[in-house]
Amino acid sequence: MAEITGVYAVSHTPVMTNMPDAPAPARREAAFRQFTRVGQEIAATQPDALVLVSDDHLHNFFLDNLPPFCIGVARSYPSPVEGWLKIPKQQLPGDAALAAHLLQSVMAAGFDPALSMELTLDHGMMTPLDLAGIAGAIPVVPILVNTVQPPMPAMRRCVAFGRALGQAIRGYMGAARVAVLATGGLSHDVGTPRMGQLDEAFDRGFLQQLEAGGLDAAADFAEATVNTAGNGAEEVRNWLVAQGIAEGAPFETYHYDCITDWYTGIGLGRWSMMA
Amino acid sequence: MTARNWVQDMPTEEAYAINRILYRVQHDRAEETRFFDNPARYIADEPLSDAARAALDATDIGRLYLLGANPYLLRAYCLQLRVPEADYLAALRAVGDATHG
Repeated sequence: MAEITGVYAVSHTPVMTNMPDAPAPARREAAFRQFTRVGQEIAATQPDALVLVSDDHLHNFFLDNLPPFCIGVARSYPSPVEGWLKIPKQQLPGDAALAAHLLQSVMAAGFDPALSMELTLDHGMMTPLDLAGIAGAIPVVPILVNTVQPPMPAMRRCVAFGRALGQAIRGYMGAARVAVLATGGLSHDVGTPRMGQLDEAFDRGFLQQLEAGGLDAAADFAEATVNTAGNGAEEVRNWLVAQGIAEGAPFETYHYDCITDWYTGIGLGRWSMMA
Repeated sequence: MTARNWVQDMPTEEAYAINRILYRVQHDRAEETRFFDNPARYIADEPLSDAARAALDATDIGRLYLLGANPYLLRAYCLQLRVPEADYLAALRAVGDATHG
């Protein structure tokens, strides 16, 4: 049976990678230190696999066939898909066996994610992995949530899907240790009239709901208020999947800063799960 | 008006036709080449509404947004077209009152 060694969530934005020096030195260095911290903590537990929860920014998927959830079941993932992203092209190893187990388990539990045997991961996964210093170091299972084009899965559905994933991970016999990293948000807008505006009240409110623990309070908060926080804030669904994997354990916020120079509310932390 | 993250809760056929162009030009090298060889001809050949065709012809960013262009695809399209960032943001903000309270 696999142990979940840690469940983490971090913001993602390609601007951190392509314009790292945009914020003042103290603010950017504080944020980068926390990405390094998350990477070091994940690596220190020596996980056999890393389950990544993020969204596809309409690279692999389009409106001709747009899954609410998708599990990548490939043995490797060429990345990043964006030619303009300042991260070297590379092949990330995939844990196809764990991915297949997760897919089959959550389907048996009543969920219906798509599968993909060919994904090219985008900045949503690559930027945090690169900043954390763990890109390519651990076989990954990418799980993609539609957060970029309505209609999207309900916030509570993401928590429920995460719970099924967590139970599947814990029941896996093929690995001893599995870590989880969700990425996205917090408040920001991409390509809307509000682009450049952030919503610190949403970000802090969402983090407070996570910190309080419990399964659905953060989901309900997000469902009620995400429209004030920007279309990029829809990515908190990825955090809610992780909240479900962590069974609603209290979240410990490592860092939060409302960094307009990166167009994004930057948050990082982990769920404080009992061993 | 209540603040909203999206112009459309469901993409319309008109939005789909716009987004298909934005997606193809970004992801299909042959389509990208064909588009940049002659954007006006490329747009003329696509099955678009008159409003969508006019917005694409003029690179009317605000209008494309209001017609349902996915913001992520529209962002990438404008970067491909090398629309200056200030112009891009100004075009979106000019239509802001129509979509956000």
